[in-house]
Amino acid sequence: MTVLDQTHSRRRFLQLTGAVGATAALGGVLQACNVIGGGGAATTGTFNWMTWSDHYIQSQLDKIAKDTNINTAISELAGNAEGYAKLKEVKGQLDKISGDAMWVPNAYAKDGLIEPFDINELKVSSQLYSFAREFPYWQSSEGYMAYPFGWSPIMIYYDPAKVTGDPNDWQVLLDPKYKGRVVVENQPEEIVAYMARAAGFDKPYDLTDDQLTTVKGYLEKLKPNVLKFAQQATDSVAAMISGEAWLITGNLGNEDRVKDGGGPEIKGYVPKEGTVGWHDGEMIVKEGVNKALIKPFLEQSQQAELIAENFLANGRPLFNEKAYQILTDQGKKDQADRYLYAKAPDVLPTMVLKGPGTSTDKSIQLFNEVFGTS
Amino acid sequence: MAKNVDPLETMPVSRYAGLTRWGLRLIFAFLMLFLYLPIVFMVAFSFDASQTPSFPIQGPTLHWYDVMINNRQLLSAVGNTISVSLIVAVLATIIGTMAAFVLVRGRLRYPNGVRIAFTMPIMVPGVLIGISLLIFFSRAVHANLSLMTVIAGQLVVTVPFVVLIVASRLQSFDRKLEWAAADLGASPRRTLRHVVLPLIAPAILAGALICITLSIDEFVITWFTVGNQLTLPTYIYTKIKFGVTPEVNAVATVMLVATLLIFGIASVVLGRGRRRLPGRRRRAAIPPA
Amino acid sequence: MTAEVVGGVDVAPPTVASRGRTARLRELAPFLPAGLLLGVLFFVPLAVMFIFSLWTTNANLDIVPTWNLDNYAQFFQTGAYVRTLAKTVAMGAAVTTICLLFSLAVAYFLARYISRRWARVALLVIIVPFWSSYLLRVYSWQAILGEKGALNQVLLSLGLISEPSRLFVYNDIGTFIVLTYVYLPFAILVLYASLERFDYTQLTAAQDLGASPSRAFRYILLPQIRPGLITAAIFVFIPILGEFLTPSMVGGASGLLIANLIQTFFKNALVPQGAALGLLIVAFVTVLLIIFRKYLRVEDVYARG
Repeated sequence: MTVLDQTHSRRRFLQLTGAVGATAALGGVLQACNVIGGGGAATTGTFNWMTWSDHYIQSQLDKIAKDTNINTAISELAGNAEGYAKLKEVKGQLDKISGDAMWVPNAYAKDGLIEPFDINELKVSSQLYSFAREFPYWQSSEGYMAYPFGWSPIMIYYDPAKVTGDPNDWQVLLDPKYKGRVVVENQPEEIVAYMARAAGFDKPYDLTDDQLTTVKGYLEKLKPNVLKFAQQATDSVAAMISGEAWLITGNLGNEDRVKDGGGPEIKGYVPKEGTVGWHDGEMIVKEGVNKALIKPFLEQSQQAELIAENFLANGRPLFNEKAYQILTDQGKKDQADRYLYAKAPDVLPTMVLKGPGTSTDKSIQLFNEVFGTS
Repeated sequence: MAKNVDPLETMPVSRYAGLTRWGLRLIFAFLMLFLYLPIVFMVAFSFDASQTPSFPIQGPTLHWYDVMINNRQLLSAVGNTISVSLIVAVLATIIGTMAAFVLVRGRLRYPNGVRIAFTMPIMVPGVLIGISLLIFFSRAVHANLSLMTVIAGQLVVTVPFVVLIVASRLQSFDRKLEWAAADLGASPRRTLRHVVLPLIAPAILAGALICITLSIDEFVITWFTVGNQLTLPTYIYTKIKFGVTPEVNAVATVMLVATLLIFGIASVVLGRGRRRLPGRRRRAAIPPA
Repeated sequence: MTAEVVGGVDVAPPTVASRGRTARLRELAPFLPAGLLLGVLFFVPLAVMFIFSLWTTNANLDIVPTWNLDNYAQFFQTGAYVRTLAKTVAMGAAVTTICLLFSLAVAYFLARYISRRWARVALLVIIVPFWSSYLLRVYSWQAILGEKGALNQVLLSLGLISEPSRLFVYNDIGTFIVLTYVYLPFAILVLYASLERFDYTQLTAAQDLGASPSRAFRYILLPQIRPGLITAAIFVFIPILGEFLTPSMVGGASGLLIANLIQTFFKNALVPQGAALGLLIVAFVTVLLIIFRKYLRVEDVYARG
């Protein structure tokens, strides 16, 4: 074979492979492009749900699909602001969306994107704690805005071997002793809110200009102490495990994760000045094409057994009271109590729920000013 | 001239040549180490027993590989990502190469302006492109979001890379080769196919590889333009509340090994039967002058 | 057949159609897909963003069409933005320089001393690891550079330091190292494409004529791969201006770069402010490119024969 012939056959081979590969890829893509699905009042089919990954367990979804023929097409939620921006544009392409407490009324409901419903109509809602069915900010003339799911305060965790004195407030984060030993989440608005709470302000998302000036002082004291911004909880936990960080902020459950990773025994507390936190829920999208499937789905997916399984898998408290009973029966009462499962009525009042506020713009600018290059 | 000696070997060579060559070998080895060091850790972490991998790792386990295989969401995300990357790479390479030809040889009025225009998508923060495309697709085009819109969005940021790299190669392309081919009777099309394209193939290949790299981990634009599908980057980056667990490392390891295997096999299959052309360091029989 | 030289620029031989509107359209046709892509999917949406940047958000997170320049004014009024941009440019320049140096060495080595087949294999081996999640790779860097990380362990065991150093990560050094890591393969690929077709006998010829190797390198090689060098520099420097993940993960509290500041706005649904800042960066880079346009010439280097 001459070189030229070889080139030809090699090129032919490449062409064929390329064509086959491209066709296969295209076929795969076209198959994956879900048609949004026929609508109407069908009680079986697939609906589209945008949510965080801890709101579902795949095996549970499979079982529900097998039992009731309701399938879910999940897409991931990056954050409330992004989810809100996307829902505003895609509207009917989604049927159900999860969101944090104060985003529900202040963003989604206000724009008419979601459909409130009578929560007591759902039989499974009787398994919820009664206060979870009566959040005043989720009530509207048309009904209840979202089906409550889980919650957590932002706690401060510390390594007692390195941080002496049994701290119980936000001030410990500002102590110059801990320079470069604090890890906070990469959420600028929340960092400003933490400092607002440290300064004793009741409305960390609705700060006045004077309050912002005070908070600026706190932020400037915090800056040298921050080792890094945690992209995900894994970041803070890893820093604790390696001993690079002595103080971290985060959701419930970090002490278990640190121990699981071979790190030291850490302690966590809700700061005495009060904290911020979140609780979330599932909302029905008003223009959702398949939204009729959501209520039957909720009846299945919010059952106490599944919620208990979810708690054990993800480790943060949920609003299903019956699930607490199940956990106790399973011998997991200690774990549930550690995660404040039954303590919501005590803890929720101490936390200001995360959400859009009147001072968001100024807070972000303040953050940029302090944490930009000085 | 002595037999079996490549004339190149007997040409005068700088006294630093050997030293330079060893220096370059060292730099190459060091850089390969540099590039693979985090990969070694990434692979090692997939065997870490704890949910949060850290160094040193805790007792190796295959648990996460087990989790990975049973995680249908993750696997479908990987499948989508691979398909999208391949399609984006092929399309961007074709579109970009065609545009590069016109940019360099089309005798455009304002070639520098066009070139700067093509550099602009690289400058714009991805979140701007993502949000603007989301609004564009839903309000102007009334299109449902899907992997198609993702591909369109990714093309916006990958085509410029292909255009720039192929254009830079075309710029220094010796046109005398084409004129020689024309002299020998080749039509412009044949010249293109048999002279130009093979000679700029490294640039096209580099562009395609860069496209795949950009697309496979593209998160921001993808998140805003995707419909109800999962891709690997969105799967990973959206685990903000509780963090990723090592089955993602397991997936990355499998993908790495699979890709290296595929390329290894392909290069063996394609290289077979290729006649050994005289290389610069091999001895070849040179017929007497 | 000799080619005519008209006004210093070669005119292509008569086999190329060079007259007529339809011929011109046919010549420009291959540009159409890219042009459409850029025009419709980039410039139009960007124009919309530009309009948004001139509006504001109200307390209800809606974008309200009150025309104002506040978002742009803010950039200049708050020193932090200008300083951060300056720092980002400096970081970009530093990373670009180191990347170019190292990738030139590697690409030269691959192009000159390794047979083409193995060089392609090497390129694949270099790029394939970057087909994994960026987040995972940066996590690995944290484990390498951190206080209890691999690097410290090695230095400690070699006795070079007495206690773990916190110098390598969560500061600008960490950002520098990881950014170099991320962009090195791009630079290598671009420079390899440039160096592969270079005729190395030119260097030997130059030496024959009495030039030292470094002179040959500087005056023969570098000018001819200038387009490749410029492209590699663009591929490294410009994306760094948009980097936000690396600085936030390994840059520490004082390591935020300009793209982080833009991200903070978008994370809280403040689109006009984010758009304004983002477009300012675009304007800045465009001005830079216009200033340096002499280096970005796109006419055929060989058109002059």
